[in-house]
Formats: sequence, structure tokens, C-alpha cells
Amino acid sequence: MADALRIEHLSKTFPGQSALVDVDLDVAAGEVHALVGQNGSGKSTLIKVLAGYHQPDPGGSAWANDEPLTLGDGDAAAAAGIRFVHQDLGLIGNLSTVENIALTAGYTTGVGGHIRWRDDVRRAREAMDALGLGSIDVKKPVDSLPPSQKTAVAIARAISGWEEGANLLVLDEPTATLPGADVERLFEVIHRLKERGVSILYVSHHLDEVFELADRVTVLRDAHKIATVPVAGLDHGGLVELIVGHRIDAATASVFGSDASSVLRVRNLHGGNVHGIDLDVHEGEIVGLAGITGSGREHVLELIAGQLPRDEGDVVVDGRVVKNYNPRSAIDAGIAFVPADRKVRGTVGPMSVRENLTLSDLTPHFVAGRLRHKRERDETHSWIHKLSIKTPGPEAAIGALSGGNQQKVMFGKALRLAPKVLLLAEPTQGIDIGAKDQIHSLVDQAAQEGVATFVATTDTDELVRLCHRVLVIVDGQIVAEISGGDISAEKIEHTQLQTSRRSA
Amino acid sequence: MINRLRLDKYSALYLWAFFMVLFTILRPDTFLTTTSFKLVTQENVINGVLALAFLIPLATGTYDLSIGLNMSACLVVINWIAKNTDLPQGVGLLLGLGVCLLAGTISGFVVVKLKVDSFIATLGMSQILTAFVLFVSPQTISGELSDAYKNVGAAQFFGLQRFVWYLLILAIIVWYVLEHTPLGRQMFATGGNPEAARLTGIRTDRLRWGSLIASALVAGFAGVVYSWKVGTYGQSIGPGYLFPAVAAVFFGASQLKGRPNVWGAMIALYALAWGVKGLNLIYTTQQWIRPLFEGVSLLAAVALASRNQIIKIRKRKTPIGQAVLEDLGVSPKEAAGA
Repeated sequence: MADALRIEHLSKTFPGQSALVDVDLDVAAGEVHALVGQNGSGKSTLIKVLAGYHQPDPGGSAWANDEPLTLGDGDAAAAAGIRFVHQDLGLIGNLSTVENIALTAGYTTGVGGHIRWRDDVRRAREAMDALGLGSIDVKKPVDSLPPSQKTAVAIARAISGWEEGANLLVLDEPTATLPGADVERLFEVIHRLKERGVSILYVSHHLDEVFELADRVTVLRDAHKIATVPVAGLDHGGLVELIVGHRIDAATASVFGSDASSVLRVRNLHGGNVHGIDLDVHEGEIVGLAGITGSGREHVLELIAGQLPRDEGDVVVDGRVVKNYNPRSAIDAGIAFVPADRKVRGTVGPMSVRENLTLSDLTPHFVAGRLRHKRERDETHSWIHKLSIKTPGPEAAIGALSGGNQQKVMFGKALRLAPKVLLLAEPTQGIDIGAKDQIHSLVDQAAQEGVATFVATTDTDELVRLCHRVLVIVDGQIVAEISGGDISAEKIEHTQLQTSRRSA
Repeated sequence: MINRLRLDKYSALYLWAFFMVLFTILRPDTFLTTTSFKLVTQENVINGVLALAFLIPLATGTYDLSIGLNMSACLVVINWIAKNTDLPQGVGLLLGLGVCLLAGTISGFVVVKLKVDSFIATLGMSQILTAFVLFVSPQTISGELSDAYKNVGAAQFFGLQRFVWYLLILAIIVWYVLEHTPLGRQMFATGGNPEAARLTGIRTDRLRWGSLIASALVAGFAGVVYSWKVGTYGQSIGPGYLFPAVAAVFFGASQLKGRPNVWGAMIALYALAWGVKGLNLIYTTQQWIRPLFEGVSLLAAVALASRNQIIKIRKRKTPIGQAVLEDLGVSPKEAAGA
């Protein structure tokens, strides 16, 4: 039987960075094939090349069902019967299941082009029924459905009309944002697809999902394919070994003297994906938080800084209680937060570098009833100099700067508050190596000046580079603490993959 | 050459200059006279006040479409009090503004607490105020306001009626607050990126709420100016004032600073006003000229400003480098899921 998909010698280079190097992949017809690897290993790039979002480097080739397939061409992928369910699902929230399916599959139309709603409704019911979800109301807006059902709708949409020429279903981290119970329900859906003989390429961080669902698994590491192996002959430890590999860490963590007093104190923190964690960060200490996506890592800082509401728990800075869901109170207590997702939560797009920088506290420049623009500019100049920000000047639009330089402005904005606690979420995400080093030096410097620093990042090398101590979060709870000389990328990665929400 | 003229930033000024020259040539006797200068300046004060009313919440990213009806509400109260009670007319003025204060507070509550889109919330408030106005007086009220009352605003001062100067003072205050105080900066940050502003510790909800109260009061003041200037209440007064104010603010937002700003709005308002004046001298009976002209000018000005934006964006995409890497390869969201 022909392979549903075969890729050979696929490479993809971004300026200054190889995302994929000579990667092969084959998905047999009717199999569930898992694709795993650490952040930055190239999984996402591979999926995006397949979906036509990225152009591959010349030299690679691919076949779908033995027919040659042009990579980097979305239309060709669609014509070859490759269907995608991306992580964000791509559903239109205020439309119903019926309409979402019809938007892709086409409306059934009658005389004069009117929509035959009854047929569309029947089709949607059948599609959901085939996934074991016949009971959901297909006429309700999909936003009102629970997360697992939304994912199921996206799957139903992707496989609607499967028999007419579809070939491969690509599921990109379908469980990343699902609560635990919903994951079980989604598994049932995938098992049903498997019974129907649908070929699936399944991208995931969660190794237990691989063991539960997949027939074979392909492992990527640092842009290279490491292995393709049957899941049957593999154990958990072996797979982790393939993913993480043996590596020598370039920079090792420094040891932190534990006599300093605790500045940030968090007790019994609940909210989002976080289910009861305690932590302390001491004066001058850099503590890291590691965890796979969905582990709660992405919510801890937000809960502390007031971006997300806490269900329960206390945050105290130097004896001062930080109110729940109140960024002002966090800032007043001495917390400065540099959020992830800079464009959405960090920068104010229509404003200049100066206006973005000074926004965190305008009072020093409000003299005698007037905001002194000249003083603001002087301060901005000094930060531009101090942080080596590359900008035409303080009045340049923030959007005109590169990502790294925008991030430096965000650092300046936080550091000028002279915070007691510095919270950093993905501080160097999407910025180039040079700027990354500079930002790391800034963090070191802040800590040396006594700031208690807490970093949540998916970049394990960054944790190794920066932290005195690393906390590992799994399923919303801290499962391990690694300190000083014990910190290594390998150990962090092993630990964060070790346990999971379902085997725990 | 064209770029050095900064057509995007100063198009209203060029337009204004163009009208002055054009109509001075076409109508040398009537266009550029002291009388028409006074007339155009004074006739547009109400529009100017309403433009400021619309501008304040817009800085925080909030629309207030109820400004026209806030004006009506204030006007009807002033006239009704003068007609039906023995209270001093100043009390009527304060009561009128009080109604606007209440309306603005309710709009703010609906937007901030009930999380209704400001566009819809203030549209709803408009209709409620329409009901209020009709309830108070379905008939026109005229001749009830004393000359002493009207003179507070309509008396001459340095060659122009006083309310012209009031507008100037109000514009300076709004400009000062928006451009030269932390409050104004925080309002623009709220309008620019509410989530980032909130995380910076800015109380974005309060600012939006407060800006809606301020805009209702300023719109009420437009009603006060109307009572000084004309003195009559009629139920159709108000709604028609929304467009010129909104047009001036949006046209003005493309001017000078690239975001809503006081002087941009004032320049845009008077540039259009002089254009209308000139056209009225030439086409004396064709009423459709005015709205056509206003509509076309607004669209052309805003399109010109957007065109420059689009060119900037296109230019930025071409060089292969970090920006492109970010746009395509490792944008934050993707990297998180990689």
C-alpha cells in the first residue's frame, strides 16, 4: 500500500538559523504517526512547510499517495488531500458547527443557489456522530462548546468528505490547550478515526499521547531527524532519550548562596492551568520555571502579576500582599512584569519608543503640572545607551524596531521602576542571538543589584544560562526543583517530560 | 518633492490654503471678508465643541455616538426650565449639564461593567436621550431665554462672540490634558493597546468610563453654546451635528501626529468649513453640495493617510532579515507551540 505521505531531504533555512536539515518522514496509509521534539526542534516548521506557509529550501521532495507533491504550496497540499487541524483550530467562533463545516466543505445548494440548510445540518450531525459526538447541538455557535468539542468540530471539518480524495489528517498539538478530562474525550475521537483507517500525522509534546495513540514516532532534535521507530518497541525513558539526546551545556548555572531573604513569596497558587504551587524567590536570585506547553508554566507569572485572575492563593512581596487580578497592586508592591507575546501585551503600537518606555511611571517627568517631554527624551536616551537599543531615536515608532530592540525597550520600561521582583515570560522569544545575549546580561545585572528574578521560559538553554534554581511544573504542580550545579538542559527536559496529567 | 510636503500629515492645511486661494479668485468680493471670517468662525463653534467631545473618549479607543443627543438633552432642559419655572437660567444650565453627566455615567457603566461595545452602548444611549428630549418637550420652545443669559456667551469680545473664545479655551484644556499630562498619555495608551496598558498598571476601565462622562459634559456644553447663540429648542436639533464632529476628528487624526489630536481636528473642521463657505457662495441654492463635499473630503483625506500607512507596511516586508524572520518564522505564538 502506498504511503500517505513521504518526504525526503527536506531542509528549511531562516536567515541565520536552520530550522530543518535534510529531514525525511513517511506516514504509512492508515497509521497514526507521531512527530515529537523539543521546542525549536523543527516540528512546527515542518508542519508549516507542509501547509504551504513556509517555502522549503530547494532539494527536498515529497509524495502523497505516490503522487509527487510540491512542498510549500498550500493549494497543492489541499489537492493532495492533506487536511490540517492547527493548534488554534481556525474555527469561526460565532458560527455554528453546521456553518463551520459548510464553509470548508461547501454549502449544499438548491435551485437558485439557496442553501439547503436541512442537508447541511444532516451532514454536520453525521460528521459529529462519526466522532462519537452525535449529541452536541450542531446549531449552537462553536464558541459555546467546551474545548474538546471545539477540537472535534475542527477535526470534523477537516475530514468532511474524507472519502472523496482525502489522504492525511495533520493534527498539530490538538491537546496543548485542553484540560485533562477533555483530552480523554478527544482520544476517543482519534481512536474512532483510527478505526476508520484515517492516516494521521500527530504532533505533540505529550509523550503519553504518543504511547496511547501512535503506531510509529519520528523524533526531531535541533532541526535534524533523529529516528523513526515503532512505538511498540519503545519505553518512556527511551523516547525521552531520543528527544533530549546527550548534550553538553555551553554555559552552566552559578550557585546561589541561600542566606538572602525571600522577597517574592507565593503560596497555594491556583488559577488557569495552575493547581496549587508554592514558591519563594530571594533577593538577587534568579529562579526559572520550566514546563511543557499546557503544564501551567505559561500561567504562573500572569497569575502573580495580575494579568489572570487567581482562583486561590497569596502573593506577597516583602511583606506586602498583592491583590488578585490587579496589575496596579502588583506594580505598587514592587513587581515588574515583562510579558510574553510582546505585540499583544507589551508594546503600545501607535506610540513611540519614548512613550512606550516612560509609560510604566510618568510621575518623575510630571513637573509643575506638565509632562516634560524633554526630560522623557533625556531618560529615553540614557536607556537607549544603557541597553544598547538600536533605534533611530526616542521618537521612532516602537513598531519600526526589530523584535530584540523592542524587547529591550520593554526591559527598560520594567527596570526603570527599580523593581524588587522582576517577572520575565519568554524574555528572548523570537529575537536574534546577539540581542539574546545582551538581554541575558541585563538579567544577570539586575539580579546582582538585588532584584529577585523569576523567569518562565520554554527555552531550556536559557534556564541553564540564567538560573540559580529551576522549578519544573507538570500538570499545574511543581514536581521538581533543580539547583546550582545540577541544572542542565538534559535534566530539565527529562524532568518536564517525566510525569504527566494522566499517568500521575 | 511630494514626500517633503508631507501630504499625509498636513493635507488639511494644504486643502485649507487651496480653498482660500480658489474662492478668493472666484468670488473676490464676498469670500475673504471680515464678515465671512466672523461668520465661518462663529458658525462652527458648536461643531468644534462636539468634535472635542468625540475626541476625548476616542483617545481611549471608545466611541461616543451620543454626543449629538447629549447636546439636545442639555438644550431642552435649559429651555424647559426657562419656560416653566422661575428658577434662574443658570440653574437650568447646570441641570442640563447634570442630565448629560448622568447619561455619560450610564454609558460608562454599560461599556465598562456590562462590557457592551461602546459603539452600541452609546447608540443605545442616543435613543434613550431622544426619548428623554421628546418626553420633556415635543414642541419647539423659543423666546424664553433672556438676553442677559444669552450675552454670557454671545456678547462680543475682541471682535468675535465670546463662545469662540470659550471653544479656544476648551480646546487648549483638552490639548493640554491629552498631550501634556500623564492622564492623557495613559488615555492614548489605553486606546493604543488596552491589554498592555492594563498590565502597565493603568486603570483602563476608569479612564474609559471617565472619558465618556467628560464627552457627555462637553457635548452638553455644545447645547449650552446653542442656547446662547440661537436660544431656541427644537426636537430635530442635535443628531445632525454628529457627522461634522466625527469627520473633523477622523480627518484630524490623520493630521500632524498620526493619532486623534485637538489641533488636527480643529484645522480639519475649519478647512472644511471654509470649503463649504466658498461653495455656498458659488452654488447658492444647491443644498446637496455641502454633504457631498464633506463626505468626499473625509474619504479622500483618510484614504490619503491610509495609503501612506500601506506603503510603509509594504516597504517593511521586503528586506529579508530579522523582521521577516519574526513575521514568518518565530512569532511568539508559534514558538510557544513549536
